[in-house]
Amino acid sequence: MSLSLLLVADSDSQLLACQALARFADEQRLRVTVNAVPRDGTPASVIEALSRIGPVWQLSLRQLLADPRLDGFDAIGVYLTGSKLAEFRSVYRDSRRQLDRPLRPLFCGFNGVVLERFEEAIAWRLGYDLICLNGPRDQARLELMLRHTPFAGQRCVLTGLGRQRAAEPGVERADQLVFAEQVVIPAADHERRRLVRILAALARRSPDWEVLIRPRVAPHERTFHAVTTHITETVEETLGGLPPNLRISDAPLAELLQSGRLLATVSSTAFFDALDLGCKPLVMADFGLRHDLGTPFFAGSGLLRHFARAADIDSLAAGPGADPDWLHWVGYDPHFSPRNLLEALQELRAQPPRPPKDLIHPGYMVNAADLSSNQLRRGAEAAIRRRDYDEAARLLEIAQLQRPENRNIGRRLAAVRIGNRVGRRLALLVTPRFRP
Amino acid sequence: MRLALISDTPGALEACRLLGRQLQAAGAEVTLIAAPTLAHEHGAASPPDAPTLALEPLAAAASELLDHVDAAGVFVEPQTLQPFLEVRRQAERLRGRPACPLFTGPPLPLVGDALSADLLPRLGYDLICLQGPVQVEELGWLIRGTPHAAQAHEPIGLWGLPIEPIGTTVSREPLLVVLEQEAVPAGAKDKALLYRRLRSLALAAPDWTVRLQPDYPLSADPEEWDETALAWHHGLDTERPANLQIGRRDDLTLNLMLAWACVGISSPWLLSAMVWGKPAAVVADYGIRTDFDGPLFFGCGLMRQLADCLPLEELLSSPRANPGWLAGLGWTIADGPQRLLRRLGGLRR
Repeated sequence: MSLSLLLVADSDSQLLACQALARFADEQRLRVTVNAVPRDGTPASVIEALSRIGPVWQLSLRQLLADPRLDGFDAIGVYLTGSKLAEFRSVYRDSRRQLDRPLRPLFCGFNGVVLERFEEAIAWRLGYDLICLNGPRDQARLELMLRHTPFAGQRCVLTGLGRQRAAEPGVERADQLVFAEQVVIPAADHERRRLVRILAALARRSPDWEVLIRPRVAPHERTFHAVTTHITETVEETLGGLPPNLRISDAPLAELLQSGRLLATVSSTAFFDALDLGCKPLVMADFGLRHDLGTPFFAGSGLLRHFARAADIDSLAAGPGADPDWLHWVGYDPHFSPRNLLEALQELRAQPPRPPKDLIHPGYMVNAADLSSNQLRRGAEAAIRRRDYDEAARLLEIAQLQRPENRNIGRRLAAVRIGNRVGRRLALLVTPRFRP
Repeated sequence: MRLALISDTPGALEACRLLGRQLQAAGAEVTLIAAPTLAHEHGAASPPDAPTLALEPLAAAASELLDHVDAAGVFVEPQTLQPFLEVRRQAERLRGRPACPLFTGPPLPLVGDALSADLLPRLGYDLICLQGPVQVEELGWLIRGTPHAAQAHEPIGLWGLPIEPIGTTVSREPLLVVLEQEAVPAGAKDKALLYRRLRSLALAAPDWTVRLQPDYPLSADPEEWDETALAWHHGLDTERPANLQIGRRDDLTLNLMLAWACVGISSPWLLSAMVWGKPAAVVADYGIRTDFDGPLFFGCGLMRQLADCLPLEELLSSPRANPGWLAGLGWTIADGPQRLLRRLGGLRR
């Protein structure tokens, strides 16, 4: 039986998570449509790669929820940040009820390894029909969090950390070490400078190797985290001139991992892309096992190395690969893949439709479970007071979806959308302000 | 067994006193070692149950004092934990003989990110004393497959909080204790908003005394308060309700005992109230946020919006905390000190 899925995402890393799912489209009987919510700075390359797999829509959440094609899918996968996930769940179900249309199963997941805030992230995701987790480690954490609570029956499925198609065997690989930069790990400027110095010194000690620094995003692009200093500036400021065998590369990471021998990272999910593509990953342990760096996640991998202490890159590359028990534990194992999600969705489709699980239990709460149009309108007024009109418009759009009959919400929304400053100010003065 | 308990913050000293008392009751001889400023400031405030020596932690690590105890518990700031271990090991090498085993552990019932951040600098100690099965499970995940996989640990219950039975005496008039945390919420504006909401709560419940009780060291001198303390906002409020009061930090345990009901966002002291069977409410308005230690109380079953706490009389008939959740945090471990002494006995060199 074939499945037709809609995947909804906004930021680039969420879109990459969709890409990892969509790659199963041609090997399974699966049709995937991706809705990339328009957002400034989303790399065009990510959208292009997705459009090679299937249709890509670029509708706002409001447009999407009003689009009749939404009911044509068998299930909807939502890859948004926490609060938007909860909003989507709530608004989707409310809108279907209002329009008397069928509810499709909703699923959500994570984009890569979850280094921190796992419980908070789950509190946003509870109530989805399926939560995709990476592996047994996350499953154990979810089970511990929900144990003894009314949410203990939350259904989840293990979809693994593999994201790329396996590498072609026997490919000749260059003596290249690719460092996968992360925009806020480490976050402090002095640590980012130290990171660059360590890589440059290692390159000098290893003249037969080429060291490439792969920025997470190009200077004009944006990801979830906002940064003030791009890594290219840090490199220039710290090193002045680069050693001849060190350079910054903006080539697609997957290409670099297909041709290079080593990947180095502090705690990027690219670690698992490297494994997929036959490139040996190493974790830079020079900054220690620190929660803020995400390094404790990798502590059991067997691939932690002190780059500053290493004689050269050859000595770093020596030794066995990742510990298989650890790989299984974190979710990098053939048993954990999107196939499990597809099977679970097929099962759901075979069962008679059930109403969504109730999230309201006295004494317990999930994040945004009680999202109401009044709260949204209150939030919008606060945003207007601080002149954050984009945020005000976003909140009012959702409020309008919840209460399409309310004219005041529509008037207020029209007012905040006015581009001209004076016009907007006047419109805000004459439209009715929300008073709870 | 002779034990030393070493601390360098007021919170850790208080937890060491609690642990010391329990260990003494279990037959151990306990000496407290506290940083000099701490020992002088807080030593006189309440008479210690065990002798307190004033010594900087790293000086204690190098000193021969530790050669004369059977084990030492190290409850110092995270950045001092590993240096302490290194100094102690170096002292051992120079003296040519092994010193006493060192144990450590989180004094508070942390979970999730807060727990792993707390545990990381404790790895490598001879024993980590944990609180309950949840912390044991989380430590297991942290060390799985790592060089610390064999890290010795022992759950010894909620040792850093007062949980021994207190009887049923409460204040004569209805008293609501609101547990205030130093950094939850963190900003001055958020604290101002919280103050306004608590003020409204007091106005709506004129038959009750609402006592804003800091659970962190707050100077007795109002000149030293700032906008991040509810006491600062209370001091500035010219029309504050007569039934809205500020509790002194030193009276925290006493006020908790006297309370008819307790409210807090994520103060660990809520656990004392819950264990004592006091009606308690965990403020749900901020959601489950890591920065607010939300994950700690996710399973407690006592969350409610602040606005839903009114009328306060209804709090008195609120249900008890989820027993399965409390057990996970270590509440059901009744022989913690004996467990600790047994494990330390096995480690003695």
